[in-house]
Amino acid sequence: MSQKVIKYIGRTTDFRGNTLWEIVGNLPDWGIGRMVIRNMFQRYPEPCYMRILKVQAVDEQADNERKVRVTVEKTWRGVTQPKPVEIYSTSYKADYELVPIDQEHKYLDNKKKVGSVVLPTKIELPPLLREYVKDESGDPNPLINVHFKKTHNKQARLAKDGEQATLQLSMDIGKPTSVSAKLYDGLI
Amino acid sequence: MLRAGCQLFNQSTVAAAKTGSNNFALEFVRWRRKPRWLPVAKSKLFRVPERKKQSEEERTELMRLHNHYKTQLRSVRQYLREEVVRQQETSTADHIVLTPEQEEAEFQRCVEINAAWNAKIAIEREKRLAKEREEKVAYVQERLDARRVREEERRERADERVRFEIEQSKSFITRENLDAAIETALANPVDHNFAIDLAGNMIKGRSTQPSSN
Repeated sequence: MSQKVIKYIGRTTDFRGNTLWEIVGNLPDWGIGRMVIRNMFQRYPEPCYMRILKVQAVDEQADNERKVRVTVEKTWRGVTQPKPVEIYSTSYKADYELVPIDQEHKYLDNKKKVGSVVLPTKIELPPLLREYVKDESGDPNPLINVHFKKTHNKQARLAKDGEQATLQLSMDIGKPTSVSAKLYDGLI
Repeated sequence: MLRAGCQLFNQSTVAAAKTGSNNFALEFVRWRRKPRWLPVAKSKLFRVPERKKQSEEERTELMRLHNHYKTQLRSVRQYLREEVVRQQETSTADHIVLTPEQEEAEFQRCVEINAAWNAKIAIEREKRLAKEREEKVAYVQERLDARRVREEERRERADERVRFEIEQSKSFITRENLDAAIETALANPVDHNFAIDLAGNMIKGRSTQPSSN
């Protein structure tokens, strides 16, 4: 009898692993205290992992993948978030993986940390608006405050007094990084 | 990204040059599409679209541009929002504070203006109503006159008719002159027959001979 060859048909996925319910449903005490990782986040050199704090089962729904409400302590790119995070809406993604206890040191020993971005506090106005404001206020070069959305895992902050910003902001497309500079060869 | 765009452009121009057409040969495919409600074609049933890999440089550049743009936009929006709030606080358009006396005076002023308007409109209305009344009276009068004339004409016609009938009744055959009328009729028989020759002459009577001419 010849070897049976399995041929997969369909779209490929970047997910690798199991859903969260498949993991915690099989563990004693629902895996509280264990470490799980999202394989999607292993692209970063900094460690990304989660430690399970609390698990609440959710009733199975007929035409839905089973979700579970899990509260975790999340470490994302080396930064542990101060507050526990609840995973519910993303718990169906088959991208979670349980870390064996003897492998946990791989993540815990990785001391890399994502660098924080310091934004300047002021940015110039867009050209047309600048002309209007110039006419109204008489200020030859009006500036406005930089505003950005603060989220719990964003490592950006505004520069304090006398601090040098690490990222330059202006009302144009800015400067490409060294990695992608060659996309602009001969253009700018 | 930009590089890829340039290459695409070059390829298309090369292809156009090969086919001998101008640079932008358009091909309309609008009416050749499969209708949306038809299922996937059999030949395409198991086709899996290829997932294009973004290169690292492209990915980082797009991410940078996205972040940059979002920060710019948020900054401008925040500025405009603050500007609106500042405008509302400093302008006195919608929150003027008045003392009760001033309010009363303002109200009185409004009432006076309103009364003046009402008086003015009342005069105009009076004028208009008087005019309308006059027009109405004239119209009714006109209609009455017309009716009177019409009645007179009708009566005139009826009288005419009666006079005509009375005139006619003189030659009526009554019981008294019935015998005389019969006598007259018998004495003068009337022959209604006639013939027409080719020239269109009417020849009255059954036995009349055409006059020889």
